[in-house]
Amino acid sequence: MKATDSLYRRLITWLLLPLLGLGALMLMQAYRSAHDAADRAFDRLLEAASLAIAEQVKWQDEQLWLDLPPAALEMLATDAEERVFYALYDNHGRFITGNADLPALPGGDDSLRFADTRWHDMTLRVGVRPARLDSWSQRERFEVRVAHTREGRDQLTWSLFTGSASRIALMALLAIAVVLLAIRIALAPLTRLRRAIRHRDPRTLAPLDLPLPRELAELRETLNELLARMRRVRANQERFIGDASHQLRTPLAGLSARAELALRQPEPAAWRSALETIQASSARTARLAVQLLSLTRLNNPEAAPAPSTLDLVAVARDATRDAFAACHRAGIALELDAPDTAIPLAGIDWQLEEALNNLIDNARRYGARHVTVRVQADPPRLQVEDDGPGIPAERRLLMLRPFHRGAETGDGSGLGLAIVDSIARGHGARLTLDDGRHGQGLCVTMTFQGDRA
Amino acid sequence: MKLLLVEDDTLLAETLQDALGLAGYPVSCLTDGNEARERLAGRHDFALILLDLNLPGCSGLEVLATLRSHDADTPVLILTARGAIEDRVRGLDLGADDYLAKPFALDELEARVRALLRRRHPPGAHLQVGPLAFDGLAQRFTLADEPLNLPPREQRLLGCLMRHAGEPVDKAQLAGEAFAEDTVGDNAIEVYVHRLRRRLADSGVELRTIRGLGYLLTES
Repeated sequence: MKATDSLYRRLITWLLLPLLGLGALMLMQAYRSAHDAADRAFDRLLEAASLAIAEQVKWQDEQLWLDLPPAALEMLATDAEERVFYALYDNHGRFITGNADLPALPGGDDSLRFADTRWHDMTLRVGVRPARLDSWSQRERFEVRVAHTREGRDQLTWSLFTGSASRIALMALLAIAVVLLAIRIALAPLTRLRRAIRHRDPRTLAPLDLPLPRELAELRETLNELLARMRRVRANQERFIGDASHQLRTPLAGLSARAELALRQPEPAAWRSALETIQASSARTARLAVQLLSLTRLNNPEAAPAPSTLDLVAVARDATRDAFAACHRAGIALELDAPDTAIPLAGIDWQLEEALNNLIDNARRYGARHVTVRVQADPPRLQVEDDGPGIPAERRLLMLRPFHRGAETGDGSGLGLAIVDSIARGHGARLTLDDGRHGQGLCVTMTFQGDRA
Repeated sequence: MKLLLVEDDTLLAETLQDALGLAGYPVSCLTDGNEARERLAGRHDFALILLDLNLPGCSGLEVLATLRSHDADTPVLILTARGAIEDRVRGLDLGADDYLAKPFALDELEARVRALLRRRHPPGAHLQVGPLAFDGLAQRFTLADEPLNLPPREQRLLGCLMRHAGEPVDKAQLAGEAFAEDTVGDNAIEVYVHRLRRRLADSGVELRTIRGLGYLLTES
């Protein structure tokens, strides 16, 4: 869309262009009717002059004879000082008398005919009157041709035309004014909607409530649906923040109380035990803070990074290598079961590594002794299987919700699987939780859609 | 073997200084990014640098870039509160050797420091895994104080595994680090590993195969 595009401009263009076209047509029509009216008026003069001449035609000395009445020609020469011509022709079209050899007009029955012709570089209006002598002895046919130049007619045409043109212009101006006014009135609800949106408090997500015409009401409803979705997202976020602050506050309160208690006790053994508790609890709290941040980032659709082509095997190898030392120190056997060939996939490598880290970490924290990271092709699949206590089938879905912990005794934060779930959804992967191979432990699988990059 | 710690949080800095000092590594401590950059712009005698990324003055990544512009060898371990692996990749791209996200356990930090120092061991350093020891000066292995005589290739393989003790090393890495000059196939490596494993049997040190990750030299 161009920056200059506007509804107002579109309406003006599409209403005024046809209006201008119509105005031009009306002007043409006005000119034509002025022309016709002028011709009709002046043709009466030609008719009268030709009649006056025809009445003076006599039979004398065995031929036609014309005694030209001066008034007949004077009536053709108006104020515009046209040049006037007349001629008399006999039955066979022979020139008898006149001041010019005027051209004949096609047609040839008994009626009076008029036409414009070019003659000696002049535009003439010619009138031809067929007639016959009216005496008892002679009924000879003859033809009277009269003509004059068009100056008077053009003058009349022009004055008639300018009169109607000014009326048309006035009407056009009125029409334009009405169109502009109508557009402004029709677009007024749009302006109201814009003002209503602009004057809103940016923090409020309340629905827009203002009366609007039907077409804009649909837009308002769409906006309100969007606002409703945003309200739900915000409610979710607020609940999450509430949960998070509760989750952070509880261990902090515990830390503080434990330290206070230890300070009241005189025996170093009590201090030692308190310090051990404090160390474990603060490590857990710090990890919780990291996971909260990570989950918030994952759930922010604005900050979704673009996927690139990665090798699932390399991602799994890196993640497993990273987790190896910690597992080894904790006495947990960590293995990677992956094919030798690369498995290409469109994804975000650090997110997939984070998902694997969380799954391995969960297994470690919930008492697994043996953890296997497995990569499979067709369809591409990442799997982390452990031999820990597992999760009962009916509770597995709940585990994907933040702050739902499996075993109450474990020292997990309840966010690990929520993070994995977010990452799986971001990759369009299906996340499944099953029993481990030998009926014990947990096996978490991310199955990616077949679209291998 | 002096270490440099660049960390602006005084509680963490003092704690790490004490902990690493107790582990036998004297630590100098800097709290400002610009100070650290000046200190590392020229010659220095630190064996390892622990670098925070969020520093007052200039960022840890800039300090790292300054160091790497003239010194490609000194190992750098990044410590940061930015947990995402995304940031780690950036640090490693700039030439850091390892990365530890805060919060971390002290023993994790000590293990990483030990691993980094071992990897960059100067010729002549002494390496020890359980009863197995390597005297770098004499280029000799001893097992429970008894000399362990090995053919040259097995010696190079065991040296490489000792430098990476505690972490799995895969065949490609072994081929590159232990046998850089001559081409050694995967099958040959398996044969050497098999022989080494027999020599180390019941000695308190074992050479495990970690599925998918490689070989691990560890105390039993």
